[in-house]
Order: sequence, then structure tokens, then C-alpha cells
Amino acid sequence: MSQQALIAVAIGYLFLLFVVAWLVEHGSKRFGKLTGSSLVYTLSLAVYCSSWTFNGGVGRAAQSGLDFLPIYLGPTLAFCLGPVLIRRILRVSKANHITSIADLIGARFGKSGGLAALVTLIAVIGLVPYIALQLKSISNGFAALGGVAGEGTAKPVFADEALWAAVILTVFAMLFGSRSIHPGEHHPGMVVAVALESILKLVSLTAIGLFVGYGLFHGFGDLFARAAAIPEVATIFAHSPDRYGFSWISMTLLAGLAAFCLPRQFQIMVVENVDERHFDKAIWQFPLYLLAINFFVLPIAIAGRMLLPAGTDPDNFVLSLPLGAGVPWLALIAFLGGVSAAASMVVVEATALSIMVCNDVVMPALLRVKSLGLAERTDLTRLLLWVRRLAMATVMGLGYLYVRFDSAQFALVSIGLVSFVAVAQFAPAMIGGLFWRGATKAGAITGISAGFAVWCYTLLLPTLSRSGMFAPGFVGDGPFGIALLRPYQFFGLTGLDPVTQSTFWSLLFNIGAFVGVSVLGAQQPVERAHAALFVDADNPGEAAQIWRRTALIPDLKSLVSRFLGRERAEAAFADWARGRGVDPATAVQADAATVLFYERLLASVIGAASAKVLVGAIVEEEPLGVEEVMRILDETSRIIVANRELEDKSRALEIATTELKRANARLTELDRLKDDFVATVNHELRTPLASIRAFSEILRDQPQLPNAERLEFLRIIVTESERLTRLINQLLDLSRIEATGALPSMVATTDLVAVIRESSASMQQVFAAHRVALRTEIGVEHAAVMGDHDRLVQVVINLLGNAVKFAPAETGLATLSLRRTGDQYEVAVSDNGPGISPADRQIVFERFRQLGDTLNAKPQGAGLGLAISQRIVAEHGSRIRIEDAEGGGALFRISLNAARAVAEPASGGS
Amino acid sequence: MLRRTARRDRLVGLFIAGVVLVNPPILNLIGGTVFGWPALYVYLFAAWGLLIAGLAWVMRPGASTPDEPRGPP
Repeated sequence: MSQQALIAVAIGYLFLLFVVAWLVEHGSKRFGKLTGSSLVYTLSLAVYCSSWTFNGGVGRAAQSGLDFLPIYLGPTLAFCLGPVLIRRILRVSKANHITSIADLIGARFGKSGGLAALVTLIAVIGLVPYIALQLKSISNGFAALGGVAGEGTAKPVFADEALWAAVILTVFAMLFGSRSIHPGEHHPGMVVAVALESILKLVSLTAIGLFVGYGLFHGFGDLFARAAAIPEVATIFAHSPDRYGFSWISMTLLAGLAAFCLPRQFQIMVVENVDERHFDKAIWQFPLYLLAINFFVLPIAIAGRMLLPAGTDPDNFVLSLPLGAGVPWLALIAFLGGVSAAASMVVVEATALSIMVCNDVVMPALLRVKSLGLAERTDLTRLLLWVRRLAMATVMGLGYLYVRFDSAQFALVSIGLVSFVAVAQFAPAMIGGLFWRGATKAGAITGISAGFAVWCYTLLLPTLSRSGMFAPGFVGDGPFGIALLRPYQFFGLTGLDPVTQSTFWSLLFNIGAFVGVSVLGAQQPVERAHAALFVDADNPGEAAQIWRRTALIPDLKSLVSRFLGRERAEAAFADWARGRGVDPATAVQADAATVLFYERLLASVIGAASAKVLVGAIVEEEPLGVEEVMRILDETSRIIVANRELEDKSRALEIATTELKRANARLTELDRLKDDFVATVNHELRTPLASIRAFSEILRDQPQLPNAERLEFLRIIVTESERLTRLINQLLDLSRIEATGALPSMVATTDLVAVIRESSASMQQVFAAHRVALRTEIGVEHAAVMGDHDRLVQVVINLLGNAVKFAPAETGLATLSLRRTGDQYEVAVSDNGPGISPADRQIVFERFRQLGDTLNAKPQGAGLGLAISQRIVAEHGSRIRIEDAEGGGALFRISLNAARAVAEPASGGS
Repeated sequence: MLRRTARRDRLVGLFIAGVVLVNPPILNLIGGTVFGWPALYVYLFAAWGLLIAGLAWVMRPGASTPDEPRGPP
């Protein structure tokens, strides 16, 4: 078949796809419905399978057996974590209208234009080999089918198939990916076309596989049996403990990361995703597609090695086998399958890269150049489109140059893996940024830069060097002959293939720098706020509350119209306003949420970094700055502090209230006691006064009374007067003690033995009168205590008086004792009266409290004695305790500390 | 909530099982042929297929609604 005819077929096929895409976007509803299907989403994800899979996989299998598979096992494993990892990427990206992976990483780290540009630069450089791979594969296909030996460099430029492939694919990429500007960067036509191509890839490779199995052999059992007879093929499948090692693992890892870090995968999986639920099905359907398309790769490769001449390029087996067997139509199908694989990859990759270059590098730069006056231009959609087309052309041009000057003629898979290592550098910042709050912009920039630098040194430069572009001895001897820095044995690490060791070193440096710088550096408040927005992505709508920005809606509208076109901008705002219950026609002042809506709408066309610059120009009075965030944080912390103070105060208030309540209760009690006191004093004073008065009146009015009676009455008057005097004296005593609080002569020592003897002597008559026996037991010779002699005598007399009152006549017995216990002297007064119940033991010390039936029995005292005694003892640092006496009566016990200076020599007591 | 967590845990379990099954050193234990087919080829595709089946089972519709209580068996 002639080359012209082949080119015509290829162009015709691509044009057919373009028509489908055009119909999806503009034509009938039947095609339009396709975009909302999860199957189309899954099939479009299969853009992952490029020429690498279609041609390169067979080539790899033919050379080294099964290790083409990690490239597909990796994404399967990555999709196992889809609901955790990829869904979060989806959610965050949707909430922020992310348009590319550069946009996502830039937006996560503070809408950083610099970081987004760095990611874009790495993506473009890193993917050049990958695009070159596609061009090389197509040109190989042309050469194989056209019957020309494919040696790119030997031919003049215009006869080079790779150039034609590049030109055609560039044109189609522009047609699919940059025909018009859509909000959200949706390209439904492109997605459907890619899905169709995925079907063709699968059908084509399966057809060849079945043809090989049943057309060239008698089933696959036969194929494998005959292969086992050839020793060099058989060794591939022999049992070998160390056939696959780090190389397999690193390829699995790279492919797993590439499944969401490759710009085209990100474009299809995240940006073109219209419904999150589609992803739930794609989680298992996409790996199933990968399994299906790889199922026949190994049989085809083995058949190729057995049937085709030794010099055939293994990467061309898919074409050469049907061609060699004389089935050209099948070869044509295989060729179209290969074209599909390459075209879908190139179109989506070029689109994704052009969006990145345009949104994250060119537009931010152009918008910053004030002299261009871009911010004032009314319609920028054409500019955007041309920037993108130029970016596509540049990327494809670089790819072509790589093919043309890479004379080393690597296998397709080796070229592709170089790109995989490059895009894997995005993974740490991306995953870290989504799950780790502490990740900083400085860390992300350092990590990505370090990883990229190591990749350049260990993979890209050696490739260029081997192509003869510079320093021939660079790979073999290291730069300047330093063996330690040989790019393929970096730091002397041997035993690994270049891709594996580059993966290891680049990711090590990347993650190390990312984590290290993030941990060691301080996080700006703005960064912390951004981190919170991305890491806690459950409610992205809260973003608006963090930035306080206002602007006029007409300004924002006209700004967005320039990039989206007036109609789309109006429609989008009308939707938004309706959702918030605002009349779109009258709203003028845009609040923070509206500004954010416009910024995101704009970001969906030109990326977050550019949108920030543009919106920032309109709302420049309150730009997103540290001061703003600090102010908000400040306010919050002030409120928190005020809140805490309020809490403290109310707690203090509560405490004060309870104290007041307690004091109030005490006051009420005291008041009641005072009333009681006054009433009792009244009563106590009145009783003797009344009897004195009554008897005095009798004596005055009845002079004829007999003498004996008269004397008796006078005796009563005298007794009552004495009682009155005693009462008044006691009251004075009490008030004096309570008023001064201290007794005058507390510094002197006094001898308790003397106190006991004196008081018992003075009470002797009283006891005799009541016919109560008094026993005095003194266990020590001297008992020196600090205290007032007279007061203590008063206390003891009080207690004895109390005892004599309650002890029964005739059988009554009171005991007064003094003994030493340790450092203390103990005075005890006991009687054999009725005793005092435990409940009453506190009450008896209150003033005017008298036990027993005070109504019938005549009170034998004022009721002040014990109260006064307790006060006096309290002044001596002790208190009167009441216990049960042995005979059932009451026992009053007082313990007083021995005076130290006198007590030591006097301690002869029992 | 319990269901969603359970699904996530199952997926992580599948991921770990997958990582172990389709990577060295387990991989290097397989060799020779099974019914005339290369054993490693059969093993890899079988393990891969099982992994996908597991994914489809965990992600099956109805198992994903987090708010719905578990239905009768």
C-alpha cells in the first residue's frame, strides 16, 4: 500500500472522529446523550493506553516477557484507592473549578502562580519523550505498511513520516481541543471521540490476538507449546527466583502514580468528569479494560518472535504479523488501531498541556505586563485560543525534534517510562497537599524542583548525551570523570536499571525535600487557611467566608464576559443568582461569595492563578493578604478571649452568689438567734424582777404578816437579786469576751492543780447543799499551762455547777479529775446524771440553751454558763468536748497544752 | 457511616492484597506451565481478574449508599 493512500486513510479516519465530536457538541441530541454515560467516561479513561500499549507493549513482551504488565497493574492498584484518593481530587477540583494538574497543585498552595508554572514546565519537558513515542510509533507504522525501512534520521525532513504524523496530529489536536472556550474546560466531543478510539484499539488488538491464536496457530495451547520448544522463549517463563525485582516494583509504582498525575489522565478523569457517580463504575471497569487489551499481548509477542525474521522491530509485530501472513486488511485495522491509540493520546495530552501552558504560564505573564493593556481588552477568547494553539504546536514540535535527534532508537516503552518518572514528581505534592495540613508551598516547590532536577540528571541528560548532543563520556565516566556522579549509577548505586534508580533517587529527593522543608519552615496564616480548604474539602463553600472581598457585579460580569463571551457569562450568573434567591437584574454589590463564584468561573477558563490576578485587579481595595487573614484570625481570637473572660466572670459570679446566699442564711440565723437572745434575756431578767416585785409588794401591803414568813420572803428577794446580779455579770462577761476576742493575761503560766483545788473548794458548799458527792482526782503535782487562772477557775466552777445541777440528790456523784496525756493536761468533769444525747452536744454551748423541759421545770441558771466556758476554753486554744461518762452521765473534757518551759522539769505525773 | 467506612476498609484491603500478589517476591514463586500455558501468565491474569472482581463487588450499586441501613439478608 502506498504511503499517500495510508495517509489518506488515516486522515479520513481522524476526520470521521472529528465529525462525531462536532455532532456531539452541536448536533443531534442522540449524540449529546453520550456524554452523560459512565461507559463513555470509562472508555475515555482508556486514553491511558497509547501507542505504548498498542505497539510498545508487544515489543516489550517480545524482549523480556511479562514485565509490560506493571504499567497496567499500577493503575489497577491506584484505582483500588480511588474512593479515598481520586475522589478527593475530584471533589476538590470541582469545588475550585480546577482545569489541570498544575492548576490543582498551584491552587492548593495558595493559588501560587510560580508553583503552577513550575509544574507546567516539568509536564511539558517531561512529556516530550512520551509524545515523541507516539510520533515514532506512527511513523514506524507508515514505514512498515508502506514497505520502507523506518530510519528517521537518514531521510530529508519533508519525507519524514514522523513530521507528517506530527503535523496531522497537531491539526487534529487543535480541532478537538481548542476550537472554542468552554467554562470548565469541558470538551464533550473530544471525550466521545476518545471513547470511540478506545473501542477501536481494543477491537483491533483483540482481532489480531485471535488471528494469531487461531489463524496462525491451532489455538493458544499450541502457540505456547511450540514456544516452549524454543529455548530463548522458554527461559522467559522458567521458574526463576529473582527474575523480577525492583524494576517491576518501580514500574508498578510509576504507573500507579501516572494514573492520576499524567496531564491527560487528569484532564479526562477530573476535568472532563461530568458526574462523580461515573467514577464509581470506572473504578472497576477501567482496570477491566486494561486487562482485556493486554490479554493477547504476550501471545502476539511470542508469535512474532517465532514467525518473523530476526531483524523485525518488535514494536511493529502488531502490523508485521498480519502483513507477513498475507492479510493486509487486518494489517490496516491494526494500523488504524495504532493511529487511534496515538491520536487519542496526543490530542488529549496536547489539549491538557496547552491549557496548562496558557492558563498557568502565558496568561499570568501577559496579564502582569501592564503595557499590553490586556485587562482592558473587551474580547480575549481569541487570544486564549491562539495561545493554546501555539502551545500545542510547540509541544508537538519538541516531540518531533526528540524523535528526529534521538538516534539511539530506544524501544517505545523505555521512552515512555522516562516521562512516567517525570510526572511522578507531582505525586508527593499532590497527595501531601490533599491529606496533609502542614504541607507548605516552599516544601512543594523544593520537592518538585529537587525531584525534577534528579530526573533531568539521571534520565534526560543521559538520553540526550547518548544521542551525541553533548559530552560523550558523560554517561560512562560521569561528569569530569567523577565516577560517583555517573547518572546511571548515581552515588555509586549499581544493580538497578536507569529508570528504577532514577525513580528511587528522584522520589527520595522529592519527598525528602517536600516533607523536610514543610516541617522545618513556618507556615503562613494564608497558607494554613488554604490547607484547611483543601484538606477538609467536605464543605468547599466555606472558602468565601475566609476572604472578605467585595466588588461591583457589573465589573465582574464584564471581566468574565471577555473570556467567556457575554451570553455564557450572563447565563452563568443568572443561574447562580437564582440559586441564592437574588434578582440578577438588580444586584449591584457583589459579596465575598459572589466574588468567589466569579473567580472560580474565570478559573475554569484561564486557571486559578490567572483568575486570581484578574479578580484581584478589580477588588484591589481588599486584596487577599496576610493582614486580612490576620485580622480575621485576630477577630476570632478576640472573640474567643472575650468569651473565655465572660465564662470566668459568670463562674466568679456564681461563686459570689453562693457565698452571698450562705452569708444571708447565716445572717438570718443570727437574726433569729438575736431575737431568741433578746426574748430569753427579757424572760430571764423579768422572772427574778417579777418575783422581787411581787414579794416586795406583799411585804409592803401586809404589815401584819408573821415574822417567819416575812423573813422567808426577804430571803427570796435577796436570792432573786443575787441571781439577777449573777445574770447581769455573766452577760457582761460574755459581751466582753466577744467584743475583745482575747483575754488579757494569756502570756502568763498558771498551775492547773491550783485551779482544780480552788474551784473544788469553792464548790464544796454547793455540793453539800445538794447532797451530791464530789470526788477530786489529781494525777500530777504541777500542771503548768499558758492561761488565765481566774478564767479557768470560772470554767471549772461552771462545769461543776452544771454537774451538781443534773446529778440526782443523795446518790449523786461528780468527779473532777486532772491528768497528763502526752503534751497535754486533761481536765474532766463527770456526773451520774441523765447524760447528754449526741444530738444535743453542740446545742448546750449555745447561749440560753437549756436542756429538758424548760416550761415545767424551773430553769436552774441563765443558760449562759456553758457558752461562756466554751469561749474561755477556745481562747486557750482548745474546746470542751462532751462524752458519755462511765455511769451513764455526762463527761466534759478539756485538753490544754502544757507550757513548754515549765512542763519539762515538771513532768513527773502519771 | 458504618457502611461507607466498611467499603473504604475493603478497598484498602484489596489494595494491600493486590500489591502483595502482583509484585515480587510472590511473583517469583510462580514458574513453569499450567496445561501448556505459562504459569506466570495465567497467574498474573487470574490475580488481576480477581482483584477487578473484588473491586466490582465492593463498588456494586446499592452497597455505596451511606445513609441507607443494611437491608435484610
